[in-house]
Amino acid sequence: MALTLLTEPFQYTFFQHATLATLAIGVAAPLAGAWAMQRRLVYLTDALSHGVLAGVASAALLGTSLIAGALVTAIVMASLIALLVIRVKVPEDSSIGLVGQGLFALGVLGLTLQRDPRALQHVLFGNPLTVTSMDVAVDIGLALVIVFAVLWLRPVLSATTFDPQHARTLGLPVALVDTGVVLGLAVVVVIGLSSVGVLMALTLSLAPAVAARLLCQRTSTLLGCATAGGVAAGLLGLLVSYHAGLPTGPVVALLATAEVPLAAVIAVLRNAPRAARTARA
Amino acid sequence: MTPDAPMDAVLSVRDLTVSFGSSLVLRSVHLTVYATEGVALLGQNGAGKSSLLRAIAGLQPYRGDVDVPSTRHRASSVAFVAQTSGGGHGIRWDLPLNVSDVVGFGLLRRRRPRAGRGKADREAIADAIARVGLTPLARRPINTLSGGQRQRVLLARALVQRPDVLLLDEPFAGVDADTRDTLGEHLHQLRGAGVAVLCALHEEHLAHRFFSRVLTLESGRLHAPPLLSPHDTRDMPHQAGEPAWR
Repeated sequence: MALTLLTEPFQYTFFQHATLATLAIGVAAPLAGAWAMQRRLVYLTDALSHGVLAGVASAALLGTSLIAGALVTAIVMASLIALLVIRVKVPEDSSIGLVGQGLFALGVLGLTLQRDPRALQHVLFGNPLTVTSMDVAVDIGLALVIVFAVLWLRPVLSATTFDPQHARTLGLPVALVDTGVVLGLAVVVVIGLSSVGVLMALTLSLAPAVAARLLCQRTSTLLGCATAGGVAAGLLGLLVSYHAGLPTGPVVALLATAEVPLAAVIAVLRNAPRAARTARA
Repeated sequence: MTPDAPMDAVLSVRDLTVSFGSSLVLRSVHLTVYATEGVALLGQNGAGKSSLLRAIAGLQPYRGDVDVPSTRHRASSVAFVAQTSGGGHGIRWDLPLNVSDVVGFGLLRRRRPRAGRGKADREAIADAIARVGLTPLARRPINTLSGGQRQRVLLARALVQRPDVLLLDEPFAGVDADTRDTLGEHLHQLRGAGVAVLCALHEEHLAHRFFSRVLTLESGRLHAPPLLSPHDTRDMPHQAGEPAWR
């Protein structure tokens, strides 16, 4: 019975597509999210997930690819924020809020201009029924780029996050790494578009990374733990949403969020013997 | 290389000027540092000590010349250790890293983005950690280190670069007397191994105790007593009862 619950959905092609797309975002989102958390870029990720709505709505109106629309908007948004911060000297959080909310407002306006505004609901919250084989190919391709970049450049990412000033004295391209991290976060939001939705991609980026940080003292183990948490929340959320008839994105996001208190409890239990020894001493 | 620089000069600064907008922070500074020399930079807050070190390290735009008469790139031959007190100027001690990870960052270069993994690199990291006396803490998470231990970790990260010149910005700020003495001893050993040290600090008695030459920055101008030889051995006052490592 339990096995049937697990295997039955996989006889459908749409579920196979949704599983592959969820795996892609389940791996890529926590890998990028771990750096967003460590570099304190969570607000930027949140703004990106809202801002890309403008590109999605515009692409829908023009009848072009929603993923391409989201990707272009994310890059434009990151460039606008960088322009405001570096050239106009607007504080970073103000720039992010300004550009993110402005594009979100444009996106909401674009949604109201659609013939059926509900037609784009899957972009916000995800819908496995809408994932095409092309979406799967693009999602996996983009996820592989994220995985390769994070694994290959991990020492540089760590060094530039720990002490950017010293990294500059070593000749490391700190500004290029900063830009790459922002673009990586934009790519993650785009990968999430087809499976869990752009709004829920943020939760899948952040929650497994936060949970992993509670349990791990090394960056390598943190990245592994966060990825496992993202994949687990994604696949379990997909199955639950299928059987319970619930929207995929929110279910995945809730499961990912639940990993944080679970990790906190494990951390407390793990540290209890040491705390007791310290108290006795 | 400056043509008339002495053979054992490891750093030559000529006519260096730094400004923030219309405000001049450093005015036509000239400075030569020799191998194994320990040079202390004294001066009040805002005198330009940090700006001078940052300009030499390549972190601060300047006018003038900074020559490192070495065949190696400046990133290799000059190592900079920023202040760790007062938050450490953006250093993130809360990250999931251990002491060896941070020391290994000193080996990274634009063309070596994954340095620190080979056997030779691992040995260099272990050696740098041993030289600052942190071998028992090599695997310790950095968020559990004390202020003095953090300062020594940054010193080890600089040592793993095998620099000719070590630039230190306020290394004694916010550390207790024992840690201060340990750091002074490490600096003395480093100079014995051929590394020149240029150090900004506030405490005059520490400058005379730990360094062979003491310079003063005042309103962006460098004041120095005449240097008798590259390895000036004139007596400098130091506090009674404290060993001098000059």
